[in-house]
Amino acid sequence: MKRFIIISLLCVLAMPMMACLWWDTTNSYLFSMYEQKNFKNRVERICNDNWKAYLGSTEEYFWFNADDAIKAARKKGDVLMVSYLQNLKKYLNCVDIEQRKQYEWNYPTPQDINAQKRDLQTVRTYAIGKTKTKLRSQHALLYMRCNMILGRHQDNINFWEQTASKFIETVYKDMMKNIYAGALYKSGRTAEAGEMFAEMDDYESLMTIYYKKRSFQAISQQYQQNPNAKVLPFLLQDFVNNAQEAEDAKTEGALGGKLFIRDINQQESVQMQQFCQKVVREGKTETPIMWQSAKAWLEYLAGKKQEALKDINTAMQMEGTQRMKDNARVLKFFMTTATAKPSDSFDTYFTEELTWLQSKQQTADGFFDSALRRISYQAIVPHYQNKPEQQLALMIITNNTDYIERMETMPVADLEKFFYYTKTPGDKPFDQFLQRQFQINDSSYIELIGTKYMRLAKWDKAIEWLSKLPLTYFNYHHSQEYLYYSTARKYDVEPWLTRQWLDSSNAYKREQKWNKNIKLEFCKEMQTMESSLNLLQDKALDQRYYDLAVRYAQASLKGDCWWLLRSSKNIYDSVRVNEIDFGAKAAELLQKTTMTKDKNLKLKAMFAMGWQELYNATPGAKLWTSNEWNEQAADYIRQYNRESWQFRAFQNLYNMVENTTNKPAYITKCDEYDQFRQYYSKHK
Amino acid sequence: MISCGKQRYQDESLEQSNGVYYWRTDLHLDSTERAFLKQHHINKVYCRYFDVVMSDDGTEPKPNATIAFTDTLPAGIELIPTVYITEDCMHKPHKDLAEKLVKRIMQMNETNHIGNVHEIQIDCDYTSKSRATYYQFLEQVRHHLSPTSYHLSTTIRLHQLSMPVPPVDYGVLMVYNTGDPRKWQERNPILDYRDVYPYLNKLAQYQLPLAAAYPVYQWIRNIQNVRIEHTVEAAEILKVKKALEKERPSLSKAVITYHLETDNINRYKTETYEEIYHH
Repeated sequence: MKRFIIISLLCVLAMPMMACLWWDTTNSYLFSMYEQKNFKNRVERICNDNWKAYLGSTEEYFWFNADDAIKAARKKGDVLMVSYLQNLKKYLNCVDIEQRKQYEWNYPTPQDINAQKRDLQTVRTYAIGKTKTKLRSQHALLYMRCNMILGRHQDNINFWEQTASKFIETVYKDMMKNIYAGALYKSGRTAEAGEMFAEMDDYESLMTIYYKKRSFQAISQQYQQNPNAKVLPFLLQDFVNNAQEAEDAKTEGALGGKLFIRDINQQESVQMQQFCQKVVREGKTETPIMWQSAKAWLEYLAGKKQEALKDINTAMQMEGTQRMKDNARVLKFFMTTATAKPSDSFDTYFTEELTWLQSKQQTADGFFDSALRRISYQAIVPHYQNKPEQQLALMIITNNTDYIERMETMPVADLEKFFYYTKTPGDKPFDQFLQRQFQINDSSYIELIGTKYMRLAKWDKAIEWLSKLPLTYFNYHHSQEYLYYSTARKYDVEPWLTRQWLDSSNAYKREQKWNKNIKLEFCKEMQTMESSLNLLQDKALDQRYYDLAVRYAQASLKGDCWWLLRSSKNIYDSVRVNEIDFGAKAAELLQKTTMTKDKNLKLKAMFAMGWQELYNATPGAKLWTSNEWNEQAADYIRQYNRESWQFRAFQNLYNMVENTTNKPAYITKCDEYDQFRQYYSKHK
Repeated sequence: MISCGKQRYQDESLEQSNGVYYWRTDLHLDSTERAFLKQHHINKVYCRYFDVVMSDDGTEPKPNATIAFTDTLPAGIELIPTVYITEDCMHKPHKDLAEKLVKRIMQMNETNHIGNVHEIQIDCDYTSKSRATYYQFLEQVRHHLSPTSYHLSTTIRLHQLSMPVPPVDYGVLMVYNTGDPRKWQERNPILDYRDVYPYLNKLAQYQLPLAAAYPVYQWIRNIQNVRIEHTVEAAEILKVKKALEKERPSLSKAVITYHLETDNINRYKTETYEEIYHH
């Protein structure tokens, strides 16, 4: 019956909307007073169940097949059903023409269109003649559907009001009512249509109707007409969510006057808060909890947090549907977590509420899942800011994806503490509760802790942690690309002289494997090289500085061996907190190397200091030239950054080699230095 | 040498024209839209006929959101059937897709009595992954159009300027949707000069005649049933137009706005439209 339902709504839905973009947000709406049951899905399921029963099938029924149904009806000697199904089939062929217009390659010909009109008329005439038989509901629905495609909306209004509305309650009657509501809408009787769509949980049609008419005024007018109008929860929820969106947008970045969310300003929000209070006071509503909760959430969004808490507590005592009660509890959970001071008693309340909210996950329409997401990001994480172990545990428990970034950037000592926290049974019931909720992959944590020590160039500690890992862990845990890059590239190659370009598509051509723990080898080599520095002197010391610079540059985020400190590479990566700047460290070592008396080494070190990748990962660092946005000119302006490290490096190189002959090829073939030369020779 | 090369491919084959895109699902013009067409001497309407998207089971491309013709264009205006194809349809070749697409357009013209058609346009945000398949597809479309005198054009997004040119008669440079929609707090995702800037130096060398299409629309996003709207200020559009035409003067020959709608017409002053359509 899928085609039925699609076509029955097709003529109602015409959202005045263009491009539609959606992605999973962490600021989902917390005000959700009714479950999105969805009319379409409900009637489709019932129809399929009806056919399943008629056919005597034991299997789940998904797609209506007229020929199978006709065969079954014939077998039963059900003559009326046979004729109904034959006409239904004819009608479905007409629907097919509509579908072909939309979704099929064989667009209908003029002959197809004429045949469609003729058949619709025939089926319509047939169906109206059978509305007093035992299959009256089915035939009546068929008649109304034909009218709908033919655009005979007034006929449908008359038929429903005079005849079909008196039929017994069936899914066919529900569908007729939906078509009737659509006909009312098409005939300008919007309010009546809206009330009916709300009653039927047809939210798509409701949004079509109220798309441009949502406001405080519309809600108050609707309430005056009927304080328990079915459309009120839809309108109120939409209003409150718009208010939330407006508030969220304020804290999520500058809008530059270019973004216009439906304008629910403070004044309209205050009006609505007062109106909610009036509704509750008047006592005409059957669901005061909805209005009181709306007031509380609007207050909270407007920064009146204490009033909001008081009102949500009041709301929790009021009447309403179970969903409304659950929604109020979610709102209270959010507000309390976001405002309470950390304490053991709060942790007890929190444990109870989190357990309840977890029990509601993956139920109903997904509201409780998205609510937990918002609570996690906006309330739980800030609340446990000063308890890093509990905070990280809660991020994992609530599937807060920021925890990966958090682990990457947190001080290594904190991550170590968390690692031991997961291994040691907690003293407090709250810690025991958290520890029961999740498990970690020990090896991944060990690698991350070891790598974080590498990022600090603390080779002893890195070796201590990375030694715990077997080789199989790396080969199993890391991606093929990672293994490909890490086995093919060498960290002792001078990156300013040779780039180790690789074709990533080769990563999958053969299985990539580590034969040794390369990260551990690197740490050991660095430890040995650095610890013997004070034993070296003169050229040997200069050469050691240079060799260390090569390794730091290679291991830096922009080096070819980025895989030593990261598990993947992103061109936007920059040096983060709690790690040292390997590029800067390389530059510092190269600076020391330039003091050498070995002319060739000195030249290489000076040239190396002009390698832009040494500075590209340093936040705020500039290269010798850049295109900078100029507000006044409203354009990009070429700038020369004479104070930058790279400029100075090239400047020193220029002063050293410009008047010499037999420059090394690595200097004469360097495009970037050549550009600098051309500029600097004229702008000394 | 370079200037000779420029002369050869730059837009000489394009006639001076004023165009609009029509991107709704029902061809129906109100009086404001009709007046706009007349006032700005619009002689080409690039009318979206349907989209091509991958089927639900991901096996084959299917038409979607086909336009209904409840009205006709004013006499003398050329209608250019335009088909938007999602990029994933071009991840691999699909047998007969070009033929089916051409046939469907022809049938739509016949069933709905659409005349004065001399061209079709394909819109696809092809990437380096899908480019080869897309160009092959365009060749096939051209082949199936060969019994007619139809021309073939395609849209060119800024990032596509660094790729080899497609096998079509001309391209329409899409000067919109230039930003990252997820970073709308920082820059207008419809158009921001700063997002166009990095591509300016590609223009002069692009070896395909180019028309230019500018945004006049509001981008309405529906995030969890909440309407979020973006609009571009007139000054920004004109600034970008000026910068583009500085790099490639002939871009002013054929100008299109995206897209025809009363709200868009009313959003900007008449003078703004006159400047956009200034050749």
